Amino acid sequence: MQLKYIMNRKKELLKAPRMAVEIAGVRFKNPVLTASGTFGYGLEFANLMDLNSIGGIVVKGLSMKPIKGNPPPRIYETASGMLNAIGWQNIGATEFVTAKLPGLRNYETKVIVNIVGFELNDYLEVARFLNDCPGIAALELNISCPNVEKGGFHFNKNPKDTYKVTAAAKKACRKLPLWVKLSPNVTDIREFARACEDAGADAVSVINTLVGMAVDVEKRQPRLRFLTGGLSGPAIKPIALRMVWEACQAVKIPVIGVGGIARTEDALEFLIAGARAVQVGTANFYRPDASQRIALGLQEYCRSHNIEDINELVGSLHAYE
Amino acid sequence: MLDRKVKIKSVRDLGSNNYLLTLNAAEQARLIRPGQFFMLKCVEEVDENPLLRRPFTVFNICRHARSGRPAGLELLIKDVGTGTRKLVRMKPGQIIHCLGPQGNGFKVSAEMKNRVEMACLVAGGVGIAPLYMLAQDLMRQNIKPVLFYGGAGASDLVLREYFEKLGMDTNYTTMDGSFGERGLVTEPLARFLHKRAHRNIRVYACGPWGMMQAVHKLSERGKLQCDVSLEARMGCSLGACLGCVVRIKDPHGEDRYLRVCQEGPVFDSRLIDWETEPV
Ligand SMILES: Cc1cc2nc3c(=O)[nH]c(=O)nc-3n(C[C@H](O)[C@H](O)[C@H](O)COP(=O)(O)OP(=O)(O)OC[C@H]3O[C@@H](n4cnc5c(N)ncnc54)[C@H](O)[C@@H]3O)c2cc1C
Ligand SMILES: Cc1cc2nc3c(=O)[nH]c(=O)nc-3n(C[C@H](O)[C@H](O)[C@H](O)COP(=O)(O)O)c2cc1C
Ligand code: FES
Repeated sequence: MQLKYIMNRKKELLKAPRMAVEIAGVRFKNPVLTASGTFGYGLEFANLMDLNSIGGIVVKGLSMKPIKGNPPPRIYETASGMLNAIGWQNIGATEFVTAKLPGLRNYETKVIVNIVGFELNDYLEVARFLNDCPGIAALELNISCPNVEKGGFHFNKNPKDTYKVTAAAKKACRKLPLWVKLSPNVTDIREFARACEDAGADAVSVINTLVGMAVDVEKRQPRLRFLTGGLSGPAIKPIALRMVWEACQAVKIPVIGVGGIARTEDALEFLIAGARAVQVGTANFYRPDASQRIALGLQEYCRSHNIEDINELVGSLHAYE
Repeated sequence: MLDRKVKIKSVRDLGSNNYLLTLNAAEQARLIRPGQFFMLKCVEEVDENPLLRRPFTVFNICRHARSGRPAGLELLIKDVGTGTRKLVRMKPGQIIHCLGPQGNGFKVSAEMKNRVEMACLVAGGVGIAPLYMLAQDLMRQNIKPVLFYGGAGASDLVLREYFEKLGMDTNYTTMDGSFGERGLVTEPLARFLHKRAHRNIRVYACGPWGMMQAVHKLSERGKLQCDVSLEARMGCSLGACLGCVVRIKDPHGEDRYLRVCQEGPVFDSRLIDWETEPV
């Protein structure tokens, strides 16, 4: 009886699907990451989930010096989503490396650092600094934040500028892989994905938030002091999915899907559309263990669908004949 | 901090859109300190709208009749919008997600016992919510609490009998004069403090921004320490989204922000930049 149980268990283990994915030579134990700005510096969630259960953590956008951010109100909930205009508030790269990174190194989960900047040199300075810090798996260049006046977003308005900042950052990165996070607030995301690929980016993250707005009709005032904000959450998922699909058609480098992913099925949609990995964002706020649940859910899906390796799913979308 | 699914025990209509929600959350009731709060999902399904959980402080801990051990949480909820409306329409037996306790509560430390003789508890409307647990805590430490409770009309002054049962001195004001003194709650407070100048009184306030600002000014004039419990829209309550900040006074006029969910919700009123309302 017991022997039979052990044999079955062994069979089961042998059958356990392989969940690891690789992006630019870095191995992630599964394709579920958390999105920048929605998971703090990771440690905030340590009491509420097992940080080791996910592939990676993308930390809040960092600049070399701390940034104070926008005056409140900074967030507002909308139908199936939320607007935010945080304004790059962060503790600065030095503080991150001394106060947060050592704690994160206790986990086997990969750490990706999202970097922000007003000018080209701001990006390069952080990139160079972080290069020498052990415990960072990749950098994610945020050129797509809509919530800072003169923010890096101007690098995401013209593919030529995207090329320029990516190429310079890639050089500054030396050994660290460089991901570029793209804005959906463009006419054709494929041009921007291609510019990144041509400039040497190792991957693109698609998408950042969509610019939106809400009005308080009693006060006749914008709901956010910054006036506009970035829309995130399930409301943007279909747009994100379409853009991930388009980016996957346009480039050979891995595409990381972000936007409205809250459940296992959402993550599966992105993987099938071609994303090598996914990032869970706003869902972390209302379900702090959302990413862990999705990582488990993906494994369950693979097992029940006899998929031996999650990579079989990536880009497996069948178009109608 | 715990994230639990808890059962709704009862929802009592108190009038004027106020409700007393009782949750079977014994584990979390054991951890709560006055002024801390919980994040409640306002519907059963996590993926349903409204997505973000809402912050609510705890009015009272309910206890087992015989053992006296914490059995659940009593929350005073005012129906003001989408989330609160759904929450107060929930039925006993339904299950919701409850995260907490979160934040830093009121400071009622033993070391101030020797110096502080009296505490003024100032509430505007539903701002009464965190003050009942605080009043009990103060009394346990032999600090005499006095209540100043204001609202639009008599029906807004909910749950006042709880404070009366503690044997506290109470001062009520209503804007329409239907109960207590007509006018703002800061008027009897100002008189009270004026009569007792140079006494060591500590002030605690929770209510609309303008009211807390006025209480802050009165306290400052009397050189009294004043704690305010602030409101802000919250995304996560974990310190991660940076959505809940309040602007802090800076001597050099620079931008400085603190997170209401982490460094608050209770702040020393002198810290706050009262010109920038966070909600
Ligand atoms: C630490 C803390 C403790 C609180 N404790 C209590 C409590 O014990 N009892 C209680 O009834 N309420 C309490 N509140 C306020 C409560 O969280 C809000 O009333 C609630 O979030 C509104 O949700 P809604 O979906 O019903 O409103 P919405 O439909 O989102 O908005 C309706 C109106 O309420 C305002 N509002 C939205 N969110 C907040 C917020 N977080 N704070 C203040 N105003 C807001 C909006 O600007 C709008 O004018 C507390 C808030 C905080 C920050
Ligand atoms: C409060 C908040 C803060 C964010 N901060 C950043 C940031 O610092 N850098 C960045 O690249 N993206 C940031 N984002 C965007 C998210 O990483 C993500 O791209 C976007 O929210 C879409 O995913 P979602 O719908 O799953 O949230 C932020 C989003 C939110 C809601
Ligand atoms: S609510 Fe997210 S940081 Fe305070």
